[in-house]
Amino acid sequence: MSVVIETKGLSKIYESSFRGQDVYALKELDLTVNSGEIFAYLGPNGSGKTTTIKMLLGLIFPTAGSIEILGLKDIASAKVRQNIGYLPEGAYYPDFLRGEEILRFYGQLYGLSGKKLETRISEVLEEVGMTHARRRMLRGYSKGMRQRIGLAQALISDPQILILDEPTTGLDPIARKEMRDILARLRDRGKTLMISSHELLEVELISDRAGILYQGEVQKIGTIDELLTDRDLTIEVESASEEVLGTLAEKGITPEDKIEGKLILRVPNDMNSYDALNICKEQQLNLVAVAPRRETLEELFVRTVGEAQNRSTT
Amino acid sequence: MSAAVDYFRGPWHIAVFTWREGIRKKTLVGFLILSLLVIFASFFMSSFLNQTTGGGQVETEIDGKLIKDICVATISIFGMLITIFISASVVPNEVENKVVYTVLSKPVRRMQYLLGKFLGVQMIVLANLALMTALFLIAIYMRQDEFPKLLLWSALLTYFEFLVVSAFTFAISCSATSAVLPTIGGLFIYLIGNLTEYLKDVSLRSDEADFVNALIGNVASALHKTLPNLQKFSIKTEILDLNPGAPLPAHVYEQIPNLIIYGLAYAVSGYVIAYWVFRRKEL
Repeated sequence: MSVVIETKGLSKIYESSFRGQDVYALKELDLTVNSGEIFAYLGPNGSGKTTTIKMLLGLIFPTAGSIEILGLKDIASAKVRQNIGYLPEGAYYPDFLRGEEILRFYGQLYGLSGKKLETRISEVLEEVGMTHARRRMLRGYSKGMRQRIGLAQALISDPQILILDEPTTGLDPIARKEMRDILARLRDRGKTLMISSHELLEVELISDRAGILYQGEVQKIGTIDELLTDRDLTIEVESASEEVLGTLAEKGITPEDKIEGKLILRVPNDMNSYDALNICKEQQLNLVAVAPRRETLEELFVRTVGEAQNRSTT
Repeated sequence: MSAAVDYFRGPWHIAVFTWREGIRKKTLVGFLILSLLVIFASFFMSSFLNQTTGGGQVETEIDGKLIKDICVATISIFGMLITIFISASVVPNEVENKVVYTVLSKPVRRMQYLLGKFLGVQMIVLANLALMTALFLIAIYMRQDEFPKLLLWSALLTYFEFLVVSAFTFAISCSATSAVLPTIGGLFIYLIGNLTEYLKDVSLRSDEADFVNALIGNVASALHKTLPNLQKFSIKTEILDLNPGAPLPAHVYEQIPNLIIYGLAYAVSGYVIAYWVFRRKEL
Protein backbone atom coordinates (compact mmCIF):
# COMPACT_ATOMS: atom_id res chain seq x y z
CA MET A 1 0.00 0.00 0.00
CA SER A 2 1.65 3.24 -1.11
CA VAL A 3 1.65 6.47 0.84
CA VAL A 4 -0.29 9.26 -0.91
CA ILE A 5 -0.07 11.97 1.76
CA GLU A 6 2.93 12.39 4.03
CA THR A 7 3.80 15.18 6.41
CA LYS A 8 7.08 15.39 8.31
CA GLY A 9 7.54 17.71 11.28
CA LEU A 10 4.69 19.87 10.01
CA SER A 11 4.21 22.86 12.29
CA LYS A 12 2.08 25.95 12.23
CA ILE A 13 2.64 28.78 14.66
CA TYR A 14 0.47 31.88 14.71
CA GLU A 15 2.55 34.72 16.03
CA SER A 16 0.85 36.96 18.52
CA SER A 17 0.52 40.56 17.41
CA PHE A 18 0.71 42.03 20.87
CA ARG A 19 3.75 40.36 22.38
CA GLY A 20 1.59 37.62 23.82
CA GLN A 21 2.30 33.92 23.55
CA ASP A 22 2.58 32.42 20.08
CA VAL A 23 -0.20 29.97 19.28
CA TYR A 24 0.91 26.50 18.19
CA ALA A 25 -1.83 25.33 15.86
CA LEU A 26 0.21 22.27 14.85
CA LYS A 27 3.34 20.80 16.42
CA GLU A 28 5.71 18.69 14.33
CA LEU A 29 3.02 16.54 12.79
CA ASP A 30 4.17 13.30 11.22
CA LEU A 31 1.28 11.85 9.32
CA THR A 32 0.77 9.36 6.54
CA VAL A 33 -2.32 8.50 4.60
CA ASN A 34 -2.16 5.35 2.52
CA SER A 35 -3.60 4.71 -0.88
CA GLY A 36 -7.10 3.26 -0.93
CA GLU A 37 -7.95 3.78 2.73
CA ILE A 38 -10.38 5.91 4.66
CA PHE A 39 -8.35 7.85 7.19
CA ALA A 40 -10.34 9.52 9.95
CA TYR A 41 -8.71 12.68 11.18
CA LEU A 42 -10.23 13.36 14.58
CA GLY A 43 -9.89 15.92 17.31
CA PRO A 44 -11.88 18.43 19.33
CA ASN A 45 -12.51 21.93 17.98
CA GLY A 46 -9.29 23.91 17.67
CA SER A 47 -7.08 20.82 17.72
CA GLY A 48 -5.52 21.58 14.31
CA LYS A 49 -7.52 19.39 11.91
CA THR A 50 -8.62 22.16 9.58
CA THR A 51 -5.18 23.77 9.83
CA THR A 52 -3.63 20.52 8.56
CA ILE A 53 -6.15 20.23 5.73
CA LYS A 54 -5.64 23.83 4.68
CA MET A 55 -1.88 23.28 4.58
CA LEU A 56 -2.33 20.17 2.45
CA LEU A 57 -4.34 22.27 0.02
CA GLY A 58 -1.93 25.21 0.03
CA LEU A 59 -4.50 27.58 1.53
CA ILE A 60 -2.20 28.38 4.44
CA PHE A 61 1.53 27.87 4.71
CA PRO A 62 3.55 25.78 7.19
CA THR A 63 5.90 27.44 9.65
CA ALA A 64 8.13 24.35 9.50
CA GLY A 65 8.13 20.83 8.11
CA SER A 66 7.29 19.32 4.77
CA ILE A 67 4.34 17.93 2.86
CA GLU A 68 4.41 15.37 0.09
CA ILE A 69 1.36 14.44 -1.89
CA LEU A 70 1.58 11.60 -4.40
CA GLY A 71 5.33 11.76 -3.88
CA LEU A 72 5.54 15.41 -4.94
CA LYS A 73 6.72 18.26 -2.74
CA ASP A 74 5.15 20.88 -5.02
CA ILE A 75 1.63 20.51 -3.69
CA ALA A 76 0.40 23.35 -5.90
CA SER A 77 1.44 21.51 -9.05
CA ALA A 78 -1.23 20.64 -11.58
CA LYS A 79 -0.58 16.91 -11.12
CA VAL A 80 -1.35 17.12 -7.40
CA ARG A 81 -4.34 19.43 -7.81
CA GLN A 82 -5.83 17.24 -10.55
CA ASN A 83 -5.80 14.38 -8.08
CA ILE A 84 -7.29 16.07 -5.03
CA GLY A 85 -10.95 16.70 -4.41
CA TYR A 86 -11.91 18.84 -1.45
CA LEU A 87 -15.19 19.30 0.36
CA PRO A 88 -14.93 22.10 2.93
CA GLU A 89 -17.17 22.25 5.97
CA GLY A 90 -20.30 24.34 5.39
CA ALA A 91 -19.27 25.57 1.95
CA TYR A 92 -21.65 27.86 0.09
CA TYR A 93 -22.74 27.32 -3.47
CA PRO A 94 -24.68 30.07 -5.26
CA ASP A 95 -28.43 29.60 -4.92
CA PHE A 96 -29.23 30.82 -8.42
CA LEU A 97 -27.29 28.02 -10.09
CA ARG A 98 -28.55 24.56 -10.93
CA GLY A 99 -26.78 21.49 -9.62
CA GLU A 100 -25.27 20.68 -12.99
CA GLU A 101 -24.13 24.30 -13.49
CA ILE A 102 -22.11 24.19 -10.27
CA LEU A 103 -20.42 21.03 -11.47
CA ARG A 104 -19.83 22.53 -14.92
CA PHE A 105 -18.02 25.48 -13.33
CA TYR A 106 -15.77 23.30 -11.19
CA GLY A 107 -15.18 20.87 -14.05
CA GLN A 108 -14.07 23.74 -16.28
CA LEU A 109 -11.48 24.70 -13.67
CA TYR A 110 -9.96 21.26 -14.20
CA GLY A 111 -9.79 21.95 -17.92
CA LEU A 112 -12.72 19.66 -18.73
CA SER A 113 -15.01 20.74 -21.53
CA GLY A 114 -17.52 19.57 -24.11
CA LYS A 115 -18.82 16.03 -24.13
CA LYS A 116 -16.17 14.82 -21.69
CA LEU A 117 -17.34 17.35 -19.10
CA GLU A 118 -21.03 16.56 -19.63
CA THR A 119 -20.35 12.81 -19.32
CA ARG A 120 -18.38 13.39 -16.14
CA ILE A 121 -21.16 15.57 -14.68
CA SER A 122 -23.67 12.78 -15.31
CA GLU A 123 -21.33 10.22 -13.73
CA VAL A 124 -20.72 12.15 -10.52
CA LEU A 125 -24.39 13.06 -10.16
CA GLU A 126 -25.16 9.35 -10.47
CA GLU A 127 -22.41 8.57 -7.98
CA VAL A 128 -23.88 10.89 -5.32
CA GLY A 129 -27.50 10.06 -6.16
CA MET A 130 -28.43 13.50 -7.47
CA THR A 131 -29.33 12.77 -11.09
CA HIS A 132 -33.00 13.55 -10.39
CA ALA A 133 -32.15 17.08 -9.16
CA ARG A 134 -29.51 18.07 -11.68
CA ARG A 135 -31.63 20.83 -13.25
CA ARG A 136 -33.05 22.13 -10.00
CA MET A 137 -31.82 25.45 -8.58
CA LEU A 138 -29.72 25.09 -5.46
CA ARG A 139 -32.18 27.22 -3.51
CA GLY A 140 -34.55 24.25 -3.70
CA TYR A 141 -31.99 21.80 -2.28
CA SER A 142 -32.10 20.37 1.22
CA LYS A 143 -28.95 20.43 3.34
CA GLY A 144 -28.23 16.81 2.48
CA MET A 145 -28.58 17.54 -1.25
CA ARG A 146 -26.23 20.52 -0.97
CA GLN A 147 -23.70 18.32 0.78
CA ARG A 148 -23.97 15.76 -2.01
CA ILE A 149 -23.44 18.43 -4.64
CA GLY A 150 -20.42 19.53 -2.60
CA LEU A 151 -19.11 15.99 -2.75
CA ALA A 152 -19.88 15.85 -6.47
CA GLN A 153 -17.76 18.97 -7.12
CA ALA A 154 -14.93 17.30 -5.20
CA LEU A 155 -15.28 14.22 -7.42
CA ILE A 156 -15.62 15.98 -10.76
CA SER A 157 -12.03 15.38 -11.89
CA ASP A 158 -12.15 11.75 -10.71
CA PRO A 159 -9.37 12.48 -8.18
CA GLN A 160 -7.31 9.85 -6.44
CA ILE A 161 -7.53 11.63 -3.06
CA LEU A 162 -10.60 13.10 -1.39
CA ILE A 163 -10.27 15.42 1.59
CA LEU A 164 -13.59 15.87 3.32
CA ASP A 165 -14.12 18.28 6.21
CA GLU A 166 -17.17 17.30 8.28
CA PRO A 167 -19.03 15.58 5.42
CA THR A 168 -21.96 14.42 7.57
CA THR A 169 -22.37 17.29 9.99
CA GLY A 170 -25.90 18.67 10.15
CA LEU A 171 -27.40 15.84 8.11
CA ASP A 172 -30.38 13.82 9.27
CA PRO A 173 -29.84 10.11 10.05
CA ILE A 174 -31.00 8.95 6.62
CA ALA A 175 -28.82 11.47 4.76
CA ARG A 176 -25.89 10.51 7.02
CA LYS A 177 -26.34 6.84 6.20
CA GLU A 178 -26.54 7.64 2.49
CA MET A 179 -23.41 9.78 2.67
CA ARG A 180 -21.62 7.00 4.56
CA ASP A 181 -22.59 4.50 1.87
CA ILE A 182 -21.28 6.83 -0.85
CA LEU A 183 -17.96 7.24 0.96
CA ALA A 184 -17.61 3.49 1.46
CA ARG A 185 -18.32 2.94 -2.24
CA LEU A 186 -15.64 5.44 -3.17
CA ARG A 187 -13.12 3.64 -0.99
CA ASP A 188 -14.12 0.34 -2.61
CA ARG A 189 -13.40 1.93 -5.99
CA GLY A 190 -9.84 2.62 -4.85
CA LYS A 191 -10.12 6.24 -3.76
CA THR A 192 -8.21 7.51 -0.74
CA LEU A 193 -10.35 9.45 1.70
CA MET A 194 -9.16 11.70 4.50
CA ILE A 195 -12.16 12.62 6.62
CA SER A 196 -12.19 15.16 9.40
CA SER A 197 -15.27 14.63 11.53
CA HIS A 198 -16.91 14.88 14.91
CA GLU A 199 -19.40 12.16 14.02
CA LEU A 200 -17.38 9.39 15.62
CA LEU A 201 -19.97 6.64 15.31
CA GLU A 202 -20.18 7.27 11.57
CA VAL A 203 -16.44 7.40 11.20
CA GLU A 204 -15.91 4.16 13.13
CA LEU A 205 -18.23 2.32 10.78
CA ILE A 206 -16.31 3.14 7.61
CA SER A 207 -12.74 4.10 8.52
CA ASP A 208 -9.67 1.92 8.12
CA ARG A 209 -7.33 4.11 10.13
CA ALA A 210 -7.73 7.03 12.48
CA GLY A 211 -5.60 9.69 14.09
CA ILE A 212 -6.61 11.68 17.16
CA LEU A 213 -5.26 15.18 17.40
CA TYR A 214 -5.21 17.41 20.47
CA GLN A 215 -3.67 20.87 20.68
CA GLY A 216 -1.80 20.36 17.44
CA GLU A 217 -0.24 17.03 18.40
CA VAL A 218 -1.15 13.51 17.36
CA GLN A 219 -2.16 11.61 20.48
CA LYS A 220 -3.02 8.29 18.86
CA ILE A 221 -2.82 6.95 15.34
CA GLY A 222 -3.36 3.51 13.85
CA THR A 223 -5.86 1.17 12.28
CA ILE A 224 -9.25 1.01 13.93
CA ASP A 225 -8.45 -2.52 15.20
CA GLU A 226 -5.13 -1.37 16.64
CA LEU A 227 -6.73 1.58 18.38
CA LEU A 228 -9.76 -0.20 19.78
CA THR A 229 -7.93 -3.00 21.58
CA ASP A 230 -9.55 -2.40 24.94
CA ARG A 231 -12.09 -5.16 25.16
CA ASP A 232 -14.10 -5.82 28.27
CA LEU A 233 -17.13 -7.75 29.28
CA THR A 234 -20.73 -6.78 29.84
CA ILE A 235 -23.07 -8.81 31.99
CA GLU A 236 -26.81 -8.37 31.63
CA VAL A 237 -28.81 -9.14 34.80
CA GLU A 238 -32.50 -8.97 35.76
CA SER A 239 -32.06 -6.26 38.39
CA ALA A 240 -29.95 -5.37 41.40
CA SER A 241 -30.54 -3.45 44.61
CA GLU A 242 -28.59 -0.31 45.47
CA GLU A 243 -26.76 -2.29 48.14
CA VAL A 244 -25.66 -4.97 45.66
CA LEU A 245 -24.61 -2.32 43.15
CA GLY A 246 -22.47 -0.72 45.85
CA THR A 247 -20.78 -4.05 46.55
CA LEU A 248 -20.18 -4.64 42.83
CA ALA A 249 -18.76 -1.15 42.40
CA GLU A 250 -16.24 -1.81 45.17
CA LYS A 251 -14.97 -4.71 43.06
CA GLY A 252 -14.84 -2.63 39.86
CA ILE A 253 -18.07 -3.81 38.24
CA THR A 254 -20.15 -0.79 37.32
CA PRO A 255 -23.68 -0.35 35.95
CA GLU A 256 -23.47 0.96 32.40
CA ASP A 257 -27.02 1.06 31.11
CA LYS A 258 -30.58 -0.10 31.72
CA ILE A 259 -32.46 -1.55 28.77
CA GLU A 260 -36.08 -2.73 29.06
CA GLY A 261 -35.73 -3.24 32.80
CA LYS A 262 -32.52 -5.25 32.42
CA LEU A 263 -29.33 -3.92 33.93
CA ILE A 264 -26.09 -3.91 31.95
CA LEU A 265 -22.97 -4.25 34.10
CA ARG A 266 -19.54 -3.42 32.78
CA VAL A 267 -16.58 -5.52 33.85
CA PRO A 268 -13.13 -3.89 33.69
CA ASN A 269 -10.79 -5.47 31.17
CA ASP A 270 -8.22 -6.43 33.82
CA MET A 271 -10.71 -8.64 35.67
CA ASN A 272 -10.99 -12.31 34.86
CA SER A 273 -14.37 -13.15 33.31
CA TYR A 274 -14.93 -16.12 35.65
CA ASP A 275 -14.16 -13.94 38.68
CA ALA A 276 -16.74 -11.42 37.50
CA LEU A 277 -19.36 -14.12 37.01
CA ASN A 278 -18.59 -15.55 40.47
CA ILE A 279 -19.09 -12.13 42.04
CA CYS A 280 -22.49 -11.85 40.35
CA LYS A 281 -23.36 -15.37 41.53
CA GLU A 282 -22.35 -14.52 45.11
CA GLN A 283 -24.71 -11.54 44.96
CA GLN A 284 -27.47 -13.89 43.72
CA LEU A 285 -28.06 -11.90 40.55
CA ASN A 286 -30.12 -13.47 37.76
CA LEU A 287 -27.89 -13.53 34.68
CA VAL A 288 -29.54 -12.83 31.33
CA ALA A 289 -26.53 -12.55 29.02
CA VAL A 290 -22.76 -12.23 28.98
CA ALA A 291 -21.11 -10.51 26.04
CA PRO A 292 -17.66 -9.25 25.11
CA ARG A 293 -17.54 -5.54 24.54
CA ARG A 294 -15.10 -3.50 22.47
CA GLU A 295 -14.36 0.11 23.32
CA THR A 296 -15.95 2.44 20.79
CA LEU A 297 -14.08 5.11 18.89
CA GLU A 298 -16.08 7.69 20.80
CA GLU A 299 -14.93 6.25 24.13
CA LEU A 300 -11.35 6.07 22.93
CA PHE A 301 -11.60 9.67 21.73
CA VAL A 302 -13.00 10.95 25.03
CA ARG A 303 -10.43 8.96 27.01
CA THR A 304 -7.51 10.09 24.82
CA VAL A 305 -8.49 13.75 24.84
CA GLY A 306 -9.16 13.59 28.60
CA GLU A 307 -5.72 12.13 29.22
CA ALA A 308 -4.12 14.76 27.01
CA GLN A 309 -6.01 17.51 28.84
CA ASN A 310 -4.84 16.17 32.18
CA ARG A 311 -1.24 16.04 30.96
CA SER A 312 -1.40 19.62 29.69
CA THR A 313 -2.85 20.97 32.93
CA THR A 314 -0.35 19.21 35.23
CA MET B 1 -0.33 29.60 -27.89
CA SER B 2 -2.09 26.57 -26.44
CA ALA B 3 -0.36 27.09 -23.07
CA ALA B 4 -1.54 30.71 -23.01
CA VAL B 5 -5.10 29.65 -23.85
CA ASP B 6 -4.94 27.02 -21.11
CA TYR B 7 -3.62 29.59 -18.65
CA PHE B 8 -6.45 32.04 -19.29
CA ARG B 9 -9.20 29.43 -19.46
CA GLY B 10 -9.46 29.18 -15.65
CA PRO B 11 -9.58 32.97 -15.09
CA TRP B 12 -12.20 33.28 -17.82
CA HIS B 13 -14.51 30.73 -16.16
CA ILE B 14 -13.99 32.45 -12.79
CA ALA B 15 -14.76 35.81 -14.39
CA VAL B 16 -18.02 34.50 -15.87
CA PHE B 17 -18.95 32.96 -12.50
CA THR B 18 -18.18 36.29 -10.76
CA TRP B 19 -20.27 38.16 -13.31
CA ARG B 20 -23.23 35.82 -12.94
CA GLU B 21 -23.11 36.10 -9.18
CA GLY B 22 -22.36 39.84 -9.12
CA ILE B 23 -25.28 40.95 -11.25
CA ARG B 24 -27.61 39.34 -8.73
CA LYS B 25 -26.30 41.25 -5.72
CA LYS B 26 -29.20 43.15 -4.20
CA THR B 27 -27.15 46.22 -3.27
CA LEU B 28 -25.79 46.48 -6.78
CA VAL B 29 -29.18 46.03 -8.40
CA GLY B 30 -30.56 48.65 -5.99
CA PHE B 31 -27.91 51.19 -6.99
CA LEU B 32 -28.51 50.45 -10.64
CA ILE B 33 -32.29 50.83 -10.42
CA LEU B 34 -31.88 54.11 -8.51
CA SER B 35 -29.47 55.47 -11.10
CA LEU B 36 -31.72 54.44 -13.98
CA LEU B 37 -34.67 56.09 -12.23
CA VAL B 38 -32.74 59.35 -11.85
CA ILE B 39 -31.68 59.28 -15.52
CA PHE B 40 -35.25 58.56 -16.54
CA ALA B 41 -36.52 61.33 -14.23
CA SER B 42 -34.14 63.84 -15.84
CA PHE B 43 -35.92 63.29 -19.13
CA PHE B 44 -39.31 63.98 -17.56
CA MET B 45 -38.03 67.02 -15.71
CA SER B 46 -36.75 68.47 -18.98
CA SER B 47 -40.12 67.75 -20.65
CA PHE B 48 -41.84 69.62 -17.87
CA LEU B 49 -39.52 72.62 -18.31
CA ASN B 50 -40.14 72.55 -22.04
CA GLN B 51 -43.88 72.88 -21.54
CA THR B 52 -43.54 75.79 -19.12
CA THR B 53 -41.11 77.76 -21.27
CA GLY B 54 -42.96 77.22 -24.50
CA GLY B 55 -40.32 75.22 -26.42
CA GLY B 56 -37.89 76.34 -29.11
CA GLN B 57 -34.21 75.79 -29.94
CA VAL B 58 -32.84 77.58 -26.86
CA GLU B 59 -35.09 75.60 -24.54
CA THR B 60 -34.06 72.35 -26.21
CA GLU B 61 -30.42 73.18 -25.54
CA ILE B 62 -31.23 74.06 -21.93
CA ASP B 63 -33.14 70.79 -21.59
CA GLY B 64 -30.21 68.92 -23.09
CA LYS B 65 -27.83 70.57 -20.61
CA LEU B 66 -30.15 69.68 -17.73
CA ILE B 67 -30.34 66.05 -18.81
CA LYS B 68 -26.56 65.93 -19.29
CA ASP B 69 -25.81 67.45 -15.90
CA ILE B 70 -28.17 65.14 -14.05
CA CYS B 71 -27.11 62.05 -15.98
CA VAL B 72 -23.38 62.73 -15.72
CA ALA B 73 -23.68 63.28 -11.98
CA THR B 74 -25.79 60.13 -11.63
CA ILE B 75 -23.43 57.98 -13.67
CA SER B 76 -20.43 59.34 -11.78
CA ILE B 77 -21.93 58.84 -8.33
CA PHE B 78 -23.82 55.57 -8.79
CA GLY B 79 -21.29 54.16 -11.21
CA MET B 80 -18.50 54.84 -8.75
CA LEU B 81 -20.51 53.40 -5.85
CA ILE B 82 -21.24 50.24 -7.84
CA THR B 83 -17.58 49.99 -8.86
CA ILE B 84 -16.34 50.41 -5.28
CA PHE B 85 -18.95 48.10 -3.81
CA ILE B 86 -18.34 45.25 -6.24
CA SER B 87 -14.53 45.63 -6.25
CA ALA B 88 -14.49 45.65 -2.45
CA SER B 89 -16.69 42.62 -1.96
CA VAL B 90 -15.93 39.84 -4.45
CA VAL B 91 -12.80 38.44 -2.79
CA PRO B 92 -13.72 38.91 0.93
CA ASN B 93 -17.15 37.37 0.28
CA GLU B 94 -15.62 34.30 -1.32
CA VAL B 95 -13.21 33.89 1.56
CA GLU B 96 -16.09 34.23 4.02
CA ASN B 97 -18.36 31.71 2.29
CA LYS B 98 -15.45 29.36 1.53
CA VAL B 99 -15.94 29.27 -2.25
CA VAL B 100 -12.29 30.31 -2.49
CA TYR B 101 -11.27 27.02 -0.80
CA THR B 102 -13.02 24.91 -3.41
CA VAL B 103 -11.63 27.01 -6.27
CA LEU B 104 -8.02 27.19 -5.05
CA SER B 105 -7.96 23.45 -4.31
CA LYS B 106 -8.43 22.94 -8.06
CA PRO B 107 -5.59 23.46 -10.57
CA VAL B 108 -5.97 27.23 -10.27
CA ARG B 109 -3.06 29.42 -9.16
CA ARG B 110 -3.73 32.43 -6.96
CA MET B 111 -2.66 34.71 -9.82
CA GLN B 112 -5.28 33.10 -12.08
CA TYR B 113 -7.94 33.29 -9.40
CA LEU B 114 -7.37 37.01 -8.86
CA LEU B 115 -7.26 37.65 -12.58
CA GLY B 116 -10.62 35.93 -12.95
CA LYS B 117 -12.16 37.88 -10.10
CA PHE B 118 -10.78 41.17 -11.42
CA LEU B 119 -12.04 40.46 -14.95
CA GLY B 120 -15.43 39.54 -13.53
CA VAL B 121 -15.58 42.83 -11.62
CA GLN B 122 -14.73 44.74 -14.80
CA MET B 123 -17.46 42.92 -16.71
CA ILE B 124 -19.99 44.00 -14.06
CA VAL B 125 -18.71 47.60 -14.00
CA LEU B 126 -18.79 47.78 -17.80
CA ALA B 127 -22.28 46.32 -18.03
CA ASN B 128 -23.63 48.80 -15.48
CA LEU B 129 -21.94 51.70 -17.20
CA ALA B 130 -23.21 50.54 -20.58
CA LEU B 131 -26.77 50.33 -19.28
CA MET B 132 -26.68 53.77 -17.68
CA THR B 133 -25.00 55.31 -20.73
CA ALA B 134 -27.53 53.73 -23.08
CA LEU B 135 -30.40 55.30 -21.16
CA PHE B 136 -28.53 58.60 -21.07
CA LEU B 137 -28.03 58.49 -24.84
CA ILE B 138 -31.70 57.70 -25.41
CA ALA B 139 -32.76 60.60 -23.17
CA ILE B 140 -30.51 63.04 -25.06
CA TYR B 141 -31.54 61.65 -28.45
CA MET B 142 -35.23 62.03 -27.63
CA ARG B 143 -34.69 65.62 -26.55
CA GLN B 144 -32.25 66.79 -29.24
CA ASP B 145 -33.13 64.51 -32.17
CA GLU B 146 -29.49 63.82 -32.81
CA PHE B 147 -27.46 60.79 -31.78
CA PRO B 148 -24.86 62.11 -29.31
CA LYS B 149 -21.81 60.14 -30.54
CA LEU B 150 -19.45 62.27 -28.48
CA LEU B 151 -20.97 60.95 -25.30
CA LEU B 152 -19.50 57.54 -26.10
CA TRP B 153 -16.00 59.02 -25.73
CA SER B 154 -17.08 60.48 -22.41
CA ALA B 155 -18.39 57.08 -21.29
CA LEU B 156 -15.13 55.43 -22.35
CA LEU B 157 -13.10 57.82 -20.20
CA THR B 158 -15.54 57.35 -17.33
CA TYR B 159 -14.84 53.62 -17.49
CA PHE B 160 -11.07 54.13 -17.26
CA GLU B 161 -11.62 56.40 -14.26
CA PHE B 162 -13.69 53.63 -12.66
CA LEU B 163 -11.00 51.11 -13.60
CA VAL B 164 -8.33 52.95 -11.62
CA VAL B 165 -10.51 53.15 -8.49
CA SER B 166 -11.64 49.56 -8.98
CA ALA B 167 -8.07 48.21 -9.19
CA PHE B 168 -6.92 49.87 -5.97
CA THR B 169 -10.13 48.98 -4.11
CA PHE B 170 -9.62 45.40 -5.28
CA ALA B 171 -6.04 45.48 -3.97
CA ILE B 172 -7.25 46.61 -0.54
CA SER B 173 -9.96 43.93 -0.55
CA CYS B 174 -7.33 41.22 -1.02
CA SER B 175 -5.88 41.99 2.38
CA ALA B 176 -9.25 42.42 4.12
CA THR B 177 -11.51 39.91 5.81
CA SER B 178 -14.73 41.78 5.08
CA ALA B 179 -15.97 44.23 2.45
CA VAL B 180 -16.33 47.15 4.90
CA LEU B 181 -12.70 48.29 5.03
CA PRO B 182 -12.13 48.04 1.25
CA THR B 183 -15.35 49.98 0.60
CA ILE B 184 -14.13 52.81 2.84
CA GLY B 185 -10.70 52.47 1.19
CA GLY B 186 -12.30 52.74 -2.27
CA LEU B 187 -14.14 55.92 -1.34
CA PHE B 188 -10.89 57.29 0.10
CA ILE B 189 -9.03 56.47 -3.14
CA TYR B 190 -11.72 58.26 -5.13
CA LEU B 191 -11.41 61.29 -2.87
CA ILE B 192 -7.60 61.31 -2.91
CA GLY B 193 -7.59 60.75 -6.67
CA ASN B 194 -9.61 63.92 -7.10
CA LEU B 195 -7.37 65.92 -4.77
CA THR B 196 -4.02 64.83 -6.23
CA GLU B 197 -3.86 67.97 -8.33
CA TYR B 198 -3.71 70.06 -5.15
CA LEU B 199 -0.57 68.20 -4.07
CA LYS B 200 1.19 69.85 -7.00
CA ASP B 201 0.23 73.26 -5.60
CA VAL B 202 1.55 72.25 -2.19
CA SER B 203 4.91 71.20 -3.67
CA LEU B 204 5.15 74.37 -5.77
CA ARG B 205 4.39 76.62 -2.82
CA SER B 206 6.84 74.95 -0.41
CA ASP B 207 9.75 77.02 0.79
CA GLU B 208 13.05 75.26 -0.01
CA ALA B 209 14.88 77.24 2.68
CA ASP B 210 12.79 75.86 5.53
CA PHE B 211 13.54 72.16 6.21
CA VAL B 212 10.04 71.12 7.33
CA ASN B 213 8.41 73.10 4.57
CA ALA B 214 10.74 71.59 1.99
CA LEU B 215 10.10 68.10 3.33
CA ILE B 216 6.34 68.60 3.06
CA GLY B 217 6.86 69.93 -0.44
CA ASN B 218 8.95 66.88 -1.45
CA VAL B 219 6.44 64.44 0.04
CA ALA B 220 3.58 66.23 -1.75
CA SER B 221 5.56 66.14 -4.98
CA ALA B 222 6.28 62.41 -4.59
CA LEU B 223 2.62 61.69 -3.83
CA HIS B 224 1.53 63.78 -6.78
CA LYS B 225 3.76 61.74 -9.06
CA THR B 226 2.70 58.33 -7.68
CA LEU B 227 -0.97 58.64 -6.75
CA PRO B 228 -3.54 58.36 -9.52
CA ASN B 229 -4.88 61.71 -10.63
CA LEU B 230 -8.54 61.26 -11.47
CA GLN B 231 -8.82 64.92 -12.43
CA LYS B 232 -7.06 63.97 -15.66
CA PHE B 233 -10.30 62.29 -16.70
CA SER B 234 -12.25 65.53 -16.22
CA ILE B 235 -11.81 66.05 -19.97
CA LYS B 236 -14.93 63.93 -20.25
CA THR B 237 -17.02 66.87 -18.97
CA GLU B 238 -15.43 69.06 -21.61
CA ILE B 239 -16.68 66.58 -24.21
CA LEU B 240 -20.19 66.78 -22.75
CA ASP B 241 -20.31 70.52 -23.23
CA LEU B 242 -19.67 70.18 -26.96
CA ASN B 243 -22.42 70.05 -29.52
CA PRO B 244 -23.35 66.32 -29.71
CA GLY B 245 -23.05 66.29 -33.50
CA ALA B 246 -19.76 68.19 -33.63
CA PRO B 247 -16.46 66.40 -34.30
CA LEU B 248 -14.15 65.76 -31.39
CA PRO B 249 -11.62 68.61 -31.08
CA ALA B 250 -8.06 67.55 -31.95
CA HIS B 251 -6.57 68.40 -28.53
CA VAL B 252 -9.21 66.22 -26.82
CA TYR B 253 -8.79 63.43 -29.37
CA GLU B 254 -5.03 63.37 -28.79
CA GLN B 255 -5.45 63.03 -25.05
CA ILE B 256 -7.73 60.00 -25.15
CA PRO B 257 -5.08 57.32 -25.94
CA ASN B 258 -2.83 58.77 -23.23
CA LEU B 259 -5.64 58.65 -20.71
CA ILE B 260 -6.44 55.06 -21.65
CA ILE B 261 -2.78 54.09 -21.17
CA TYR B 262 -2.73 56.07 -17.92
CA GLY B 263 -5.81 54.20 -16.65
CA LEU B 264 -4.45 50.83 -17.74
CA ALA B 265 -1.07 51.49 -16.11
CA TYR B 266 -2.70 52.25 -12.77
CA ALA B 267 -5.05 49.27 -13.15
CA VAL B 268 -2.06 46.96 -13.72
CA SER B 269 -0.31 48.52 -10.69
CA GLY B 270 -3.43 47.90 -8.58
CA TYR B 271 -3.62 44.31 -9.79
CA VAL B 272 0.08 43.72 -9.05
CA ILE B 273 -0.42 45.05 -5.50
CA ALA B 274 -3.50 42.82 -5.15
CA TYR B 275 -1.49 39.75 -6.18
CA TRP B 276 1.45 40.70 -3.97
CA VAL B 277 -0.94 40.91 -0.99
CA PHE B 278 -2.88 37.76 -1.89
CA ARG B 279 -0.08 35.42 -2.96
CA ARG B 280 0.87 34.50 0.64
CA LYS B 281 -2.43 35.35 2.29
CA GLU B 282 -3.54 32.75 4.79
CA LEU B 283 -7.07 31.76 3.83
